[in-house]
Amino acid sequence: MHYLEKELNELIQFWDEEPEALRALRSDAFKQYKEVGLPNRKWEGWQFTDFSALEKTSYRLASPGDLPPVPETLPTIANCNRILIINGHFQENLSVLSDKVTVQTLQHAYATNPEIFNKTVVNNSNPFHNLNTALMNSGLAIIVENNAVIDNPIHILYYTTGLTEPIMNHPLFLIVAGADSETTIIEHYAGTTNVQYWQNVVTYINLSDNAVLNHTRIQEEDLNGNHIADTAYSLEKDAQLNAFHFASGSSLYRQNIQVNLASSGASSTVNGLCLAKDRQHLDQQIIINHLKENCSSNQLFKYILSDSSAGVFNGRVIVSEGAQKTDAQQTIRNLLLTDKALAHSSPQLEIYADDVKCSHGSTTGQLDKNAIFYMRSRGIDVQTAQLLLISGFAKEVMETITNTNIDTYIDEKLTTWLEHIGVTP
Amino acid sequence: MLEIKDLHVKVKDKDILKGINLTVHPGELHAIMGRNGSGKSTLANAIAGQDSYEITSGDILFNGTSIVAESPEERALAGIFMSFQYPVIIPGVNNTYFLKAALNAKRKHQGKTELDAVEFLKLIREKLAVVEMDEKYLHRAVNDGFSGGEKKQNEILQMLTLEPALAILDETDSGLDIDALKIVAAGINNYRRDDRAIVIITHYQRILKYLEADYVHVLINGKIAKTGGENLAEQLEDKGYSWLDN
Repeated sequence: MHYLEKELNELIQFWDEEPEALRALRSDAFKQYKEVGLPNRKWEGWQFTDFSALEKTSYRLASPGDLPPVPETLPTIANCNRILIINGHFQENLSVLSDKVTVQTLQHAYATNPEIFNKTVVNNSNPFHNLNTALMNSGLAIIVENNAVIDNPIHILYYTTGLTEPIMNHPLFLIVAGADSETTIIEHYAGTTNVQYWQNVVTYINLSDNAVLNHTRIQEEDLNGNHIADTAYSLEKDAQLNAFHFASGSSLYRQNIQVNLASSGASSTVNGLCLAKDRQHLDQQIIINHLKENCSSNQLFKYILSDSSAGVFNGRVIVSEGAQKTDAQQTIRNLLLTDKALAHSSPQLEIYADDVKCSHGSTTGQLDKNAIFYMRSRGIDVQTAQLLLISGFAKEVMETITNTNIDTYIDEKLTTWLEHIGVTP
Repeated sequence: MLEIKDLHVKVKDKDILKGINLTVHPGELHAIMGRNGSGKSTLANAIAGQDSYEITSGDILFNGTSIVAESPEERALAGIFMSFQYPVIIPGVNNTYFLKAALNAKRKHQGKTELDAVEFLKLIREKLAVVEMDEKYLHRAVNDGFSGGEKKQNEILQMLTLEPALAILDETDSGLDIDALKIVAAGINNYRRDDRAIVIITHYQRILKYLEADYVHVLINGKIAKTGGENLAEQLEDKGYSWLDN
């Protein structure tokens, strides 16, 4: 992975105005990365995914030259305030910002609020996270004021297009939901290109006391893309997180999700829907840390796997000593549409407290032949019957998306996806 | 309407039906009785087109045309309906949506315009009243969380909505309490018409008290061992099946 070191050196030279402390942060993180390198199959929690594709191509960090004309049609979700980033470049003039929300470039955020960086970037055992810290070249800090109730969702669209050679981006998003605030944030990655690219994203989200945050993450990169993500949530007292992670894009996808229920009364719902086709490999690991008493966490993840795709889900709920009255649930359901599709799921519970309510479960199945016959016996053709069953499978988790416009957007993605795999009415 | 000729059916390499002959005319109600494992449900599934039931010889004609090579949906669109012994739960698929899709598939096949949501709701409310079902069942997933009786009522609701020419009712009366049984029987009588035929498969004579069967057939070991009128059902109730074994 020599290209990474070369890119780091060039970046440090290019941004010669960067504060020394930030440079030190980059160098330290790179050192940590170099000690271990990329994960391999012997690593606990990484054993089902092969990252060698990232070594076979030399990716160059996106530069100011990598800004094609903004496409006329971009993915749109109705009634949102959009923050647009093209190939890593924040398009401030094409973005609509909300009152009571501060949007800063990372340099600006570092200059005004360096503590927030220190919270997220130090001592991380995930090498991709360290690479992101070393090479971070895009992303934003988004700070929602205390008591702010933001009606329209904030739609961050990170779009990759018009590439001429393989590039990589290491975006960092720092999101702070102020105390008693209420916000919906959509973190959306999409792309269309014939050239390979690599996104290595870190998102750090802090929910202050009693904040309510709806976070929808949509990953629909081009199949020429590789998407690696580390999404960490930290919830303060009585904060409430409703997260939905939709993924249908990129040939290689690995997301680490961590939820720290750091103070009493916090509750998190983290649900997801993954659609995989061709030879896509979609891998998610989620760790829920119940650190304090009276917190609840819910997870429902569904994978629909077609062709020769693979879906990996590794979920752990850790209930610390003293986290009494914890209520934790975890459910994973895989639907295999072909004999060649593969699902690996492992739900795990680690409980160090004695007064808790925890459950977990995982199922993997194919389309119910009896249900198909039942529908056909009522005059419904096979294709429609399959469509109804697959949509029905997705529905349970789709119903948890509370914003109608987001629900409509993802529902359309599901319909298009089903058309691509040949299931149409 | 329905003509079954020397029908032999295998399930998982086991011969179940060994030469069934049955003719059903419009307006008739036939009851098929028999012990567990005699082949009653196999007959129903073979008519409906379940593909794990292999027809090794013989033929099934519907309105003079062989249907054995037709798909289940083609048979349904042609006018055959089977009420399932064990109605299938379809998670995530709304009962209204399912019924509307089925009805509109049929209307499209018949060259009629598809019903919109308002027209459909008007129709379905009339049918719900016949089977004494609450409207809340429309908003649930198909058969999801339904009791045994409610599932069977839902089958009858589908039959009344789709208005098939031929209804095969596979143990629709099993597992019903007396109130549910009366409702199901009323639904069947509401459906019955001179141009429609019914084949009801049952273990018990009790539903036949509410329906006027024209013929009662006894299925033993994959063959029709005896055919009679309603009094045959009464005889079976008294004497069991053993007097027919040979």
